[in-house]
Amino acid sequence: MSGLRSQRRRDGAIRAILLTAALTVFTLPLVWTALAAVGLRANNNTRPPSWIGSPTLDHFRDVGIAEPSFWQELATSTVSAALAAALTVAASLPAAYGLARSHFRGDRLLTQGFLVLASLPAMAYVIPLSDLMRRSQLVDTFAGLVLTEAAVTTPLAIYVLHGAMTQLPDDWEEAAWLDGAGLLRVIGQIVVPLAAPNIAATAIILFVLDWNLLLVPLVLTAGQIKTVPLAMIDFFTFERELEWPTAAAALIISLVPVALLVMVFHRVLDRFALNVAQVD
Amino acid sequence: MRLTPRDRLVLFAPVAVLLTGWLVLPALIGLFETFTTYAPFGATVRFSGLANYADVLRDREFGAAVRNIAVFTVVAVPLELGVGFALAYLLRRPIRGRRLWQVLLLVPWLISPIANGVMWHFLFGSATGIMDFVMGWVGHPDIPSPIGNAGLALPITIAVEVWRMAPFVTFLLLPGLLSIPTERWEDATLNGAPWIRRVLDVALPSLRPLLLAITMLLIGLTLGTFDGVLILTGGGPGTSTVTPALYSYRRAFGVNDWPTGAASAWLIAAGVFGAGLVYMRALRTGQSA
Repeated sequence: MSGLRSQRRRDGAIRAILLTAALTVFTLPLVWTALAAVGLRANNNTRPPSWIGSPTLDHFRDVGIAEPSFWQELATSTVSAALAAALTVAASLPAAYGLARSHFRGDRLLTQGFLVLASLPAMAYVIPLSDLMRRSQLVDTFAGLVLTEAAVTTPLAIYVLHGAMTQLPDDWEEAAWLDGAGLLRVIGQIVVPLAAPNIAATAIILFVLDWNLLLVPLVLTAGQIKTVPLAMIDFFTFERELEWPTAAAALIISLVPVALLVMVFHRVLDRFALNVAQVD
Repeated sequence: MRLTPRDRLVLFAPVAVLLTGWLVLPALIGLFETFTTYAPFGATVRFSGLANYADVLRDREFGAAVRNIAVFTVVAVPLELGVGFALAYLLRRPIRGRRLWQVLLLVPWLISPIANGVMWHFLFGSATGIMDFVMGWVGHPDIPSPIGNAGLALPITIAVEVWRMAPFVTFLLLPGLLSIPTERWEDATLNGAPWIRRVLDVALPSLRPLLLAITMLLIGLTLGTFDGVLILTGGGPGTSTVTPALYSYRRAFGVNDWPTGAASAWLIAAGVFGAGLVYMRALRTGQSA
């Protein structure tokens, strides 16, 4: 017995060491960047390398000087990602519910088809889409950007929410139907409250995905509407290479909104499950 | 079960509009255009059969792109799955501050691929980067950024992508790993099975559908690699990190050769749909077994 216990303890120690090593590998580049953003840089020209600079917030101000519209781009990114995530959830939830509560030939195939569609890279359809959007006067408009971002992430949202819907106990729904409740009441008063953590988790992940989209805003905008990833490209062209601390500051700013969101809502995030529907 | 046809219409109409208008219709129009000489501002459109596809397939650069993305997929996807699984496995047992570990380990995935490219460009750069800092301590002289080395650019790009995506795999796998009933683990532990047997006999069979779904997503994302290389390497040096998506983008928006851009984009889509067929089949064989 004591052998088992000492083995447990040894396993625990090994695990702690491995996790610490992993955490170092996965966060060190970001720590390095964060330090540069607040003015602390490595100087590799000395032997051995040393650190230079003193703590300052000036580099964050420099971002606004290097890219005068950066703060507006940050706002555009935030609002468009939030609206797109909300729109995606609003459209996907009813479909996911309908799919989970209908049984027809090939329904599983259709559900899995949404995952395949979610895996389809934007490049596959974005070229003709840009042409279509230009013809429908939606190119370089906020509405066009939001609608496209919403559409692009919809297959994944349906797939994930479908998994959540199949997990819901159906006796409450059953009771509501028997009471003569209509479809909208069943969804609004039973399905949404019961699945609220799953819906929140999905919305957060969608926000992150929308926030980081590049190709869609790249081909659907022409300068009027600009998101943060687009600004990042401008920051870094061969004609104009930013100072590393300024680039680092911009990078940290672009990371903060999503990182905050994930930290605040970390409790619900494990509800983002890819295919519970398949696990019997 | 009580859904009327009208209910179904209400439920599916929003998604139908969104997906038809922004995904299916553009994709099909794009497919049609690949058989023509269409250009957005062109005057005449002629049917050209498979000429665009022939052009793309004959292009050396596209050949390099296909070879790169094949290497990329074959190396990156298993590494992302392996590292992601290892991290999830380490986080499986209760550990103090597990949620904090989880959140911190997800952060690399939160960075946009573009910002990631900018970041790693500087981290590999000599004046202030990590690489030379470490090398300086070890006593090696400045070494040039591996991004500029034709032989190292692709491996480095893959490593950077694995660094960004493995945490997402962990995030997706951990709930599944935690939902495996304790008895199954205990049976394996009591039998004195080493950890590798626990992974092979307990974890992998239980997670099979989830692992397949994650693999599907990763393959799709990898085949479409675009923003991950755009800033980091720009496809270079030469064609050593060019990808089909980058090729396609440059064709359509760089040199305004619309039909070959769309044709190469459809070749990417065909690759993803092929992977999708394998995925569906793998899922079905798992169920009957």
